[in-house]
Amino acid sequence: MSIVKIKGLVKRYPIGGQKFTALNDIDLEFKKGEFCGLIGPSGSGKTTLLNIIGALDAPSEGNTVVLDKNIEKLSHKRAAELRNHHIGFIFQTYNLLPVYSVYENVEFPLLLLKMPKEERNKKVLDALEWVGLTDKINSKPAQLSGGQCQRVAVARAVVKRPELILADEPTANLDSENSYNILEMMVRLNKELETTFIFATHDQKVMKYLRRKVHLVDGQVAKDEIINKGAC
Amino acid sequence: MLGVKLAYRNIKEAGLRTWLNVAVLALTFTVMVGFQGLYSGMLAQSSRAMIDDEVAGGQYWHENYDPLDGLSLEESHGKIPEGLTEMAKQKKATPILIRQATIYPAGRMQTAQLKGIEPSQTILNIPSNSLASAEDELPVLIGKRMAKSKNFHIGDYVTIRWRDMHGTFDAVEGKIVHVMNTQVPSIDSGNLWVPLEKLQKMTVMENEATIVVISQDVSEYNSYAGWQFKNQAFLIRDLTEMIKSKRISSSIIFIILLFLGMLAIFDTQVLSIFRRRKEIGTLMALGMTRIQVISLFTIEGMFHGVLALCVALVFGMPLLFLLSAKGIAIPKVTEGYGYALSDRLFPVYSAGLVLGTAILVMIIVTIVSFLPTREIAKLKPTEALKGKIS
Repeated sequence: MSIVKIKGLVKRYPIGGQKFTALNDIDLEFKKGEFCGLIGPSGSGKTTLLNIIGALDAPSEGNTVVLDKNIEKLSHKRAAELRNHHIGFIFQTYNLLPVYSVYENVEFPLLLLKMPKEERNKKVLDALEWVGLTDKINSKPAQLSGGQCQRVAVARAVVKRPELILADEPTANLDSENSYNILEMMVRLNKELETTFIFATHDQKVMKYLRRKVHLVDGQVAKDEIINKGAC
Repeated sequence: MLGVKLAYRNIKEAGLRTWLNVAVLALTFTVMVGFQGLYSGMLAQSSRAMIDDEVAGGQYWHENYDPLDGLSLEESHGKIPEGLTEMAKQKKATPILIRQATIYPAGRMQTAQLKGIEPSQTILNIPSNSLASAEDELPVLIGKRMAKSKNFHIGDYVTIRWRDMHGTFDAVEGKIVHVMNTQVPSIDSGNLWVPLEKLQKMTVMENEATIVVISQDVSEYNSYAGWQFKNQAFLIRDLTEMIKSKRISSSIIFIILLFLGMLAIFDTQVLSIFRRRKEIGTLMALGMTRIQVISLFTIEGMFHGVLALCVALVFGMPLLFLLSAKGIAIPKVTEGYGYALSDRLFPVYSAGLVLGTAILVMIIVTIVSFLPTREIAKLKPTEALKGKIS
């Protein structure tokens, strides 16, 4: 079952009166339960592609369908709804809300979904248990280490059980041990919840976990490599 | 509710910045209510003094009487209509005869007004009973301003010269029998109060008056030929206008204070949006719509107003109500302001005033909070996540 279908995707940015082509003629398809990575050097278009899949940005040309929603035709409101209900984000710099506690950060997506308090509480505690942070529920992000912050970000991404999680360089700011822990956790989530993960990364630590690697060079797909056919 | 909860958390975390804004707004709100209450109190107190001491329930004026035209005073007298005489007998009215006179304090010739009033009257709150003297000499009642400006004291004699109905000059030595402490300058400065009957005899104007003051208990006013009825509102209109104009001029202070408050909030909002672009991007990525983010920031701004009202209610209002209970001592210099002020001024704070000012502050705070948030609508989530503003 396809989660993401991309056909003829082009993304251009205006830079100094000129148009810079960040993505050029991308054709891709991601299926449910994939654990895939968009691989490439800086400026290859990984984050741009991830943003378009996450309905944070619109393509200039082509067709991008995410969970049966045509991204280029979505209004701001519908795009927000799609992100709210179906997509989880994990960022390189964690992007936790600094004034909220760990619990409140994880609870936030569920508040937007207007979930009843009891159900919300259960899901938040489950998610925090998944990432092993039940002892930090009242801590503020500033009181946590980088690894712990990223675990909170993972819990926030998975708490609403989205079909798709988009992770942009999730281990770039972490040491090897924390990277290992985070990635092991993501693999476990992928297996147990069948959540589709798409990474944008050029981190070797991440690459060895990926079961599919989409190599991007200068905004084009250079190679689409399936590592473990059985899993992908 | 989510927006309110998040906004509350955000401004709580903003700490000192929040409290500075709140302090400025709370001060603005308190000063606005304080000043308005001061003017309301001034108007209420001055009106009450004018009504009690001069205006009462209204006045019948002789048709020629024009208080602004001293020259017309010679012709401003007439027989008191029968209906008004009857009312005077029932203590529902008191006639006053007003004549132009000349006095000679310290050998200088100065003009004054001789006002004849019934010593036993109870319509006006002036100590006219001090004029009830059995002696032959003319008893004179003056106000404290008159006493001060002419250096008159109780027991002093003042030479008074006047013209009778036929234009004949006459003069007499009047004896100051009492100095009244009135807040109303128009019955004080340049006024010599004498017994009505004596003044009528002195001027050969038996049973005549210039004005007839009606009791506040009277609610029906008949028409009398040659006399015009002037109601309370008309008689205190100058005072009302003066207070109104002073109220308007004081609004400059409110505008400056409000502007400071608005500037503080506007600045905070602009700074928030600039500093929290990444947070805005994250909120959008987590599924908040632009309208929700704009609402969140607007509510945050509005919270400054709400907190300011709470702070003003807790700290400012008790102070204002203490002032309204104890009164504010008025310096002597205000005697020259031209309207009645007692030694202490008691501000009046109505629920309408407090509520109206609160609503005004909240409306302005909401507008000022909202204006900078329009920038969020232009913000692309991807740019915001990078911490850029598009």
